[in-house]
Amino acid sequence: MNNKLNLNHTPEEIRKPSWVPAPIAALFSLIVPGLGQIFARSIRRGILIIFSYATIAGLTIWRFILAAPRDEGIVNIVKKSWHLDPFLIIITILFVLLHLWIVYDAYMLARHRDRTPVSVFFIILVVFFALGWQIGQINLVNLVTQADEALPALGRVAWPWEKAIDFDEDEIRAIADIEVPCPEDHDPPPVNEVGSDPVIVTDVTCGILKDQDGTLGTILHLEGFNFIPGVEVDVKWADPINNEFRQRQGGEYVVLIPDENGYFEFDIEMPYRLLPPSATEDTYIWELFVLQVAAVGDAHLSKDFKLVVEKMIETIFIGMMATFFGVIFALPVSFFAARNLMSASPVTLVIYYLVRGVLNIIRSIEPLIWAIIAVIVVGLGPFAGILALVFHSIAALGKLYSEAIESIDPGPIEAIQATGANWVQVVIYAVIPQIIPPFVSFTIYRWDINIRMSTIIGFVGGGGIGFLLAQYIRLLDYRSAGMAVWFIAITVAILDYVSAEIRARFV
Amino acid sequence: MLEIRNLTKVYDDGTVALKNVSFSVTDGEFLVVIGLSGSGKSTLLRCINRLIDPTEGEILWDGVDLAQLKGEELRKARRKIGMIFQHFNLVKRSQVLTNVLAGRLGYTSTRRSLVGRFSKKDKAKAWAAMERLGIEDQALKRADELSGGQQQRVGVARALMQEPSMILADEPVASLDPVLAHSILQYLEMLNQEDKMTVICSLHYLDLVQRYSTRVIGLRDGEIVYEGSRADIQAMSDDEFKEIYGEEAERVGGGLEGDLQVEEGGAA
Repeated sequence: MNNKLNLNHTPEEIRKPSWVPAPIAALFSLIVPGLGQIFARSIRRGILIIFSYATIAGLTIWRFILAAPRDEGIVNIVKKSWHLDPFLIIITILFVLLHLWIVYDAYMLARHRDRTPVSVFFIILVVFFALGWQIGQINLVNLVTQADEALPALGRVAWPWEKAIDFDEDEIRAIADIEVPCPEDHDPPPVNEVGSDPVIVTDVTCGILKDQDGTLGTILHLEGFNFIPGVEVDVKWADPINNEFRQRQGGEYVVLIPDENGYFEFDIEMPYRLLPPSATEDTYIWELFVLQVAAVGDAHLSKDFKLVVEKMIETIFIGMMATFFGVIFALPVSFFAARNLMSASPVTLVIYYLVRGVLNIIRSIEPLIWAIIAVIVVGLGPFAGILALVFHSIAALGKLYSEAIESIDPGPIEAIQATGANWVQVVIYAVIPQIIPPFVSFTIYRWDINIRMSTIIGFVGGGGIGFLLAQYIRLLDYRSAGMAVWFIAITVAILDYVSAEIRARFV
Repeated sequence: MLEIRNLTKVYDDGTVALKNVSFSVTDGEFLVVIGLSGSGKSTLLRCINRLIDPTEGEILWDGVDLAQLKGEELRKARRKIGMIFQHFNLVKRSQVLTNVLAGRLGYTSTRRSLVGRFSKKDKAKAWAAMERLGIEDQALKRADELSGGQQQRVGVARALMQEPSMILADEPVASLDPVLAHSILQYLEMLNQEDKMTVICSLHYLDLVQRYSTRVIGLRDGEIVYEGSRADIQAMSDDEFKEIYGEEAERVGGGLEGDLQVEEGGAA
């Protein structure tokens, strides 16, 4: 039994002896890596090594020059490159190791003709991997260290719902007139009276402005009543020609927060302002006013939320319409692309190859590229997206449908024919029952794909939620972008479930 | 009375499936056709109901040459010839009831079959057929949910719906185990004896042939090489059987006249 097994194995191939002694082969490979192997009569191995080595050498030189483009001379380039990208040191070491290993390989190959060292190709693989790492600019350190910087943005994407709800806002404005400077011939403006409305009161209603010469502005003691507790209040001035500006004190804008009774107080230093040369009056009235923007009334869905929902609906319908038109066109096309129907005569066979070829070409072009073309033709918007998806759907469905037609079982057809049924009856009772389930299944599958595709087809202007998502990302509005992402995820998940259910029922 | 005269079939690729085959079948016979796969059994059966068009020859059935029929006349003739297939040839995703009713299509107008409406009478007939074959409980299941034996009974019920006077059975039990094989052939025997239908059936196994046939013809390379009565076949030995079959003769075993010894060594 054992004997028999051994006979079945192909015996070790006894190779012809090397043309040159082992040290010479090693020397050849030292000069031209792979040449030694060829002279050792392992010609294919030698050629493979020469080509691998040449590719690796070319790539390495390219990476070094790319790292130090402005330097001249090999030594300078290598030094600068090592300095700028320490990973190139590893590549250099591997490269040298590879070269030496090829020399060793040639020596061993020329000397021991009965066994073949394999490890040289392992080293070649390692060098390619190292080069790939460098060319791909893989930086795992960045992935870890920069992750926490991305967290705030990612957090907003992950939980964006603060942006989904808005409140009606109301602006509360209270004014106190301040006369500049204090008049001599009449009384300054009267102090506001405190009632039940928001109101501000200052201890004096006139004073002087801060000046370039170091004069300090008058300090007004500002008190506010009946404001909404806990909501920020801005302090502003309106000068006599109605320029508005915010009060700054100590380098910061003044922001006051009313206590639980809606009361606040603050010492305001009158601002620094140059009066225009045309100011000839003795005194001017400056308005000190405060603004409180408060949410009042009921919560309602935000504008962005509504927009996201609208665009999501648009997206679903883009997918639906694309599927609809795709099916309509793919149905007739699929019969021309079914080999079993078209192999009857050379003419139909030519049509078959033609239709198949066109479908393959259309299908091999991504819907995103079709969308770019469609945008050129019909402009931005959902119609472009529909067109792009229709093209791809026709090609994809045409192929799937035709394969379903090709795979129908001829058995039922002959059985129904044998009952005396006519052609129409054979189609209805033997052909259609066989192709309906796969057709329905493929159609739903395609609908599923089309809706998923329509979410990103907007990135190139094809309408739908992708268009909105791209805008939000460019505006760094991560909360709104997050809402869009959530809606896409929810829709796709529901759709997956629904299509799986429908398919399970039909197939 | 079915009379086959000089039937020849040459396929497009040049394969000669039948060479000058002539024989006759009297009404009420249970004729078994034996022969290796590729010997022309299937082609012969399919020529009779014209699923395959013969190249030459006559197929006279009650004086009408089936080989010359076309269109409506051919369909009318097919109605009276039921057919049962090795792989059942049911529409797998349709209900059993629909599959059985399909046997009535030859009697149903195109318009009615377009909307899938069969008459009450046809439906009653379908239920009766299913009851007769013991599959009425499976009527509303999809055909592919049934076991092989049950599916073949659906196939028989479909043929029965045609109210045929002849049944062609192409290896009806080759996909079934021995017990089921006997069960299906007993149904065919029942149709043959109770309903007086002529049965032409191709079979592989000597013991089944001995048990059910009233007459046997043997085919090899498209030619009739053996013709024998029930008595002849009863007396036939395994060796004679193997002469027709070459070396692949087998007994199904496990059945009424099963011979396990032969089954085990059968393929040698």
